[in-house]
Amino acid sequence: MAEKDRPGDDVPGDDEVFADAAAGDEPDDDALVTSGAGGTAVAERTKDESPKTKKSGRGPFGRIGGFFREVTSELRKVIWPTRKELLTYTGVVIVFVVIMTALVAGLDYGFGKAILWALG
Amino acid sequence: MSAFTSALRTPDLRKKLLFTVAIVGIYRLGATLPSPGVSYANVRACLKITEAANNDLLNLLNLFSGGALLQLSVFALGIMPYITASIILQLLTVVIPRLEQLRKEGQSGQAKITQYTRYLTLGLAVLQASAFVALARTGQLFNGLCDQNDPTYQIIPEATGIPMWLTLSVLVMTMTAGTGVVMWLGELITDRGVGNGMSVLIFTSIAARLPGEGWSIKESSGTGKFFLVLGLVLVIIALVVFIEQAQRRIPVQYAKRMIGRRMYGGTSTYIPLKVNQAGVVPVIFASSLLYLPQLYLQFFDKNTLKPYQVWIQNHLADPVSPLYIGVMFLLIIFFTYFYVSITFNPTEVAENMKKYGGFVPGIRPGKPTADYLDFILSRITLPGALYLGLISVLPNFFFIWLNQSQYQNFPFGGTAVLIMVGVGLETVKQIESQLMQRNYEGFLR
Repeated sequence: MAEKDRPGDDVPGDDEVFADAAAGDEPDDDALVTSGAGGTAVAERTKDESPKTKKSGRGPFGRIGGFFREVTSELRKVIWPTRKELLTYTGVVIVFVVIMTALVAGLDYGFGKAILWALG
Repeated sequence: MSAFTSALRTPDLRKKLLFTVAIVGIYRLGATLPSPGVSYANVRACLKITEAANNDLLNLLNLFSGGALLQLSVFALGIMPYITASIILQLLTVVIPRLEQLRKEGQSGQAKITQYTRYLTLGLAVLQASAFVALARTGQLFNGLCDQNDPTYQIIPEATGIPMWLTLSVLVMTMTAGTGVVMWLGELITDRGVGNGMSVLIFTSIAARLPGEGWSIKESSGTGKFFLVLGLVLVIIALVVFIEQAQRRIPVQYAKRMIGRRMYGGTSTYIPLKVNQAGVVPVIFASSLLYLPQLYLQFFDKNTLKPYQVWIQNHLADPVSPLYIGVMFLLIIFFTYFYVSITFNPTEVAENMKKYGGFVPGIRPGKPTADYLDFILSRITLPGALYLGLISVLPNFFFIWLNQSQYQNFPFGGTAVLIMVGVGLETVKQIESQLMQRNYEGFLR
């Protein structure tokens, strides 16, 4: 059953996911070649940086633009609450706030009166 | 309503709810109880004088201490010192390697950091308590409107027969101890009650000021504007709920495993990454940090300020100045990213997934998965951070337009609404999940 579901599940983020994996793989080899005798830490650092520079290697503005494009593409994949969910949660929060406010107001009033009575 | 009665009918949930209510009751009692050495009658006389002329700093302070400060009560400091201490410690974790090491140690290291936070809280409490006592003595607590040389208005009367230094040190000690108790109450709620204790107590403080502030808006601006404000608050609540509920779901597939003769796993779930993964903490942090310049200014006489102090007063201590709003906005964005990076560790999540045979389809387990999670998180947090910043700053503009003198009414400002909705959602969801455990129908269908 799980196997049947998988191709369908993969569709939304599919191309992007694979593009990422590919971009992650390719510079991996580059880094190993260029940094030669460098420590592993150096190699890993270049591996981290290179996919991003490769994707939008058009100066800082291109990179910032790329970042914002990625932000909007991620936002499109966000699951927003439905109308019904929104109304229920809003209602529940309002009820909670009203109950708590009433409770605290009652307590404050009572304690205030008591202290006024005790201390004048 | 039926959900509410079923919540009360569940024995352990009922116990937790009543426990939380009882703690809130104790908190309010301590917030109304004046400290020893303070003349309650004189404070009330002073309050009457200053009611007309509102004071900014005291309003923000009272937001967190729930109206307690003006009376110099036992819990006057509220949990403000604890919040400040935890900001400082969390910032230091990044700077000091030893703390970083402790944090990575897991449970025991975390306990150690909590311990340090408590010590720092007490230190800050002593500092703040003495500052407030000094303020009260010079009359600046009431903005100089209440003459402290007049015995009928003296908040801390001198002619009592007890040496003044003794009265003052008892006062400082009481308020510091009060902060310790508040801290403990918060932890009790977290352990044995409902919701996060600290948030519930902050929530209580804000709720305590709602009726009074609502009344003052209605009195000063008229019924029409009052309902306008109420409508705006409802819109903000709905907006906050909308964004708090938004999730980016990352699919996770669990591999089928044969252990003995039984089959395990093979299920697919998802990791829910909220658009606002940080919650309301960044807002609390930013507003308590921006309160420091105001606190600093309180130590000096308003009439003999040096030029740079005047600059601070006009720009960093004034909630309507563009610089203040800009700094608030940037601080919130910074703290959002900061807090997300502390609370959600992609490497750890990726490691855990790997351990239990889970993987994101199309991504290799281990480091690539961690990178992928980090990639999504850093992108999805940007709109989250912008939303937090805008929500907490925008209503200020609205209040400037509404009425020049009303902008300081924080309980209806963005910060307070964010905190209230955040805490409300968190608490209700916790009750809900406890109901679900017992197979009852919850509040949220």
